[in-house]
Amino acid sequence: MDTWSITAFTIACAIGATTLMFVPGLGVAWLLARHRFVGRTALETVVSLPLVMPPVATGLLLLLLLSRRGPLGPLLERFDIQIVFTWKAVVLAMGFIGLPMLVRTARAGFENVDRRYEQVAATLGASPFRSFMTISLPLAWPSVVAGAMLAFARAVGEFGATIVVAGSIPGVTRTLAVAIYGYTETGQDAKALELLAVSATIAFAALWLSNRLAERRPA
Amino acid sequence: MFARIAAFALSACAGVPQGLPTRPPITVSAAVSLTDVLMAEAQEYARTGGGNVRFNFGASNVLARQIASGAPVDLFISADQAQMDVVAAAGAIGGTRVDLLYNQLAVVVPSDRPRTLRSVRELADPAFKRIAIGDPQAVPAGVYAKQYLQQVGIWDAVQQRIVPSASVRAALSAVETGAVDAAIVYRTDARISTRASAALVGPLADGPRIVYPAAITKSAEQPAEASRFLDFLRSGKGRLVFERFGFTPVS
Repeated sequence: MDTWSITAFTIACAIGATTLMFVPGLGVAWLLARHRFVGRTALETVVSLPLVMPPVATGLLLLLLLSRRGPLGPLLERFDIQIVFTWKAVVLAMGFIGLPMLVRTARAGFENVDRRYEQVAATLGASPFRSFMTISLPLAWPSVVAGAMLAFARAVGEFGATIVVAGSIPGVTRTLAVAIYGYTETGQDAKALELLAVSATIAFAALWLSNRLAERRPA
Repeated sequence: MFARIAAFALSACAGVPQGLPTRPPITVSAAVSLTDVLMAEAQEYARTGGGNVRFNFGASNVLARQIASGAPVDLFISADQAQMDVVAAAGAIGGTRVDLLYNQLAVVVPSDRPRTLRSVRELADPAFKRIAIGDPQAVPAGVYAKQYLQQVGIWDAVQQRIVPSASVRAALSAVETGAVDAAIVYRTDARISTRASAALVGPLADGPRIVYPAAITKSAEQPAEASRFLDFLRSGKGRLVFERFGFTPVS
């Protein structure tokens, strides 16, 4: 598998992961920004866990959940769905690891939107959903995109969870980070450094964009 | 208050039970398939008056890289000659290099789906959707597995279904969780595992010759102590422990 296809695969999975987590992530961010409810801190903590726990631990949890002998095993087998050691596992691992980035950044964005706009919209007859889609989300958009870019950057660099639940199968689940590790382990330093350069470039670009967007204040 | 806790902790560390030697432990880097047997050996060694041993277990290719890069290890036991050659090529072998053990390959399956294979050729059956082996690029168990599969002529047929794992124990673990349908590991790993059952066990008439070489390293901080431990492993007592775990000591 050459550098180009490994890179393309990694970026595709990272985009898939960010897309997968986008709506749920925004939902959780909105919930945490605007509502008080029992279990709020618990939700906040659980969503932030992949940020602080060792990524291999997150990967292990996913593996135990999704493997044939795990709780979801029989269900997956009934529909002949294989997740572990496929690109789906890569996307899931990347998604869960990147989720806290999206939620935390988007939440800050929503908290910065003046509630009065939403209240005015309500008095004018807008449903909460319409108010969210036409007022809150557009105003918080720079933060939301910054959060998504952060999640994407984190997903591209994800290693621990990916290697546990998706393995390092050439042509099937070998992402940039996993390939770098593989080359290092087998003494192919030149190839490892090549991939390192690619990965650093992508990370730089994504983070730079994210920081630029986060600096913009809502109107 | 803090001072009291600190004083207590320090005194707990400083207290040494009667009869235990106070020499610093030697550091042994060993193939991960030797984890259980070497822990038992170290216990026996300490019990009979030897020193303490500190282990660094991993895939032999990773360990070899560490040593070649100057890791302060006293003794290295590799699962194949190739990784010991890596260390030798880096000029990191201090003393003589000896062949310590033989091992055999085995095919294991998840224990909730036991089967018996009469030949490794049966792995070509598409019912085995995923087969875990050590990474055939450098992990010894994977190299041996690929060599064997090539030798019996089914490598091309199974290659697409191979899941390369970071070490032989990672391959074993993949089978234990049911993430793969079969794995090629060592016979000694199959014996240890409770959630994977052996489908085909060596001695395999056509199986690869698996040899574990051992050598004291150049960067060894305690070469004499390491040599004593190596001698213990090669002694009658040491050989008994190896045999108990299913290894065949080199005579």
